[in-house]
Amino acid sequence: MSGRNTLIALGLVVVAAVLQSTILADSRLQAFGSAPSLVVLVVIASVRYMEPEPAVLLGFTGGLLMDLLGGQPIGMWALVLTVVAYITLRLRDAADDGPIVIAAGVLGITLLAGALWVVLGTILGLKPLADPSAIRRIILPAMYNVVVAAAVLPGVTWLMRPRSPIRRGWAT
Amino acid sequence: MFNLRRFDRSTSVFIGLLVISFLLATFDVRSQGTGASAGLREGTQALFGPLQRAAGFVLTPVVGLVDGISDLAGLREENELLKAQVRELERELADTATLRNQVAELEAINGLEPPEDLNAITARVVAASPSEFDFTRIIDIGTEDGVLRGMPVIDENGLVGRIIFVSDSFSQVRLVTDPSLTVGVRVKETNETGTVTGQGSGPLRVEMYGAKEPIEEGFRLVTAGSRFPPGIDVAVVTEASRSEASFTLTTRADPVIVVSKLDFVKVIVDWDPLELPEDIPEETDPGEAPPAVSEEEL
Repeated sequence: MSGRNTLIALGLVVVAAVLQSTILADSRLQAFGSAPSLVVLVVIASVRYMEPEPAVLLGFTGGLLMDLLGGQPIGMWALVLTVVAYITLRLRDAADDGPIVIAAGVLGITLLAGALWVVLGTILGLKPLADPSAIRRIILPAMYNVVVAAAVLPGVTWLMRPRSPIRRGWAT
Repeated sequence: MFNLRRFDRSTSVFIGLLVISFLLATFDVRSQGTGASAGLREGTQALFGPLQRAAGFVLTPVVGLVDGISDLAGLREENELLKAQVRELERELADTATLRNQVAELEAINGLEPPEDLNAITARVVAASPSEFDFTRIIDIGTEDGVLRGMPVIDENGLVGRIIFVSDSFSQVRLVTDPSLTVGVRVKETNETGTVTGQGSGPLRVEMYGAKEPIEEGFRLVTAGSRFPPGIDVAVVTEASRSEASFTLTTRADPVIVVSKLDFVKVIVDWDPLELPEDIPEETDPGEAPPAVSEEEL
């Protein structure tokens, strides 16, 4: 069952990465020059229904995929999404499943992901803070993720929960 | 709140993956995107390139539809009666309008002559980086078409960027707006040289070293040569500036390309950048130390 959910989660991450690099990268669909961080959101949503070790590995794999599809050094997004997966893992039991708590969690974790990327990028000499809209690029995707989460989280729940031995639900 | 015991194994995995990630990033920065990491990227691009192209092909009408509908928001508010009709028409015309724009752009770029009669291959932008902080684009030509790492990329407006990674059928272009790319430029009006560095979505940062003449708003910056063919439009100065006591002159310039509208580009395939001394990094790609004055194509 866990293997099934891992496969579903990997598939979702792949789909999210393709959508992120195509349709969500189209400026005509971006509001104020930013798009939701779909891969981050899918990792947050999927980790909910996975065993701890596969969940952390999912974050790493999803990040590695983003690194390989992008132009930044390999390992940056892998590190960021590993942290995202781990934090989600640690918070999933602490959080009530109320929509406000979940929204706050999605917002906070996505903000953290963006901020962590900027810190790493600065350490590695990518100069992300040279972009005057760097802060906006952290904040807006996090806000959009909260909105998109309303569709993604129940969708992931529907895909992963029915046969999962873990009784948790974004939608309950 | 937290049950540490329960996450002991996952914490070990987490720490291990953090270390691996950081080592990978460090290794990739040191290798400047070559070696094993290039092989990994090539495999991934070979796998995902067709997927991205297919997704773009399938989803373009959706984008056009949404774009069309959003453009009509104001009109709908003014005239509720026409709303349904216009939306219906827009739905039908969205694809046509998108195609018409693409044809116009393709015609424009096919009419573009690369500098110094250099051979260039037209390519289409099929995807962007999935990262919000990464200013790159994927184009649909690769080594099979004669594209090599480091080749300049232009469009009908001017310099787009340079190839940073190539697979068989796809290539990745680092845009001139990327903070990790510095381009040597010459001011068309004064012939003085300097560099421009990307600042993401902001204007380019212009630095002129020991410039004797002031730089005025509207001055055009073109490539100075070496890494890029000379004379390609890069940016237009937006702030006048002058150097004080021969110190570095710093100002801003808008890139001539419209990043949000990149669709068709040309890769200059027979440009041979000048050899640089061995102690100077080959190019200012991510992770390298901030570029020195002599690092680019002055």
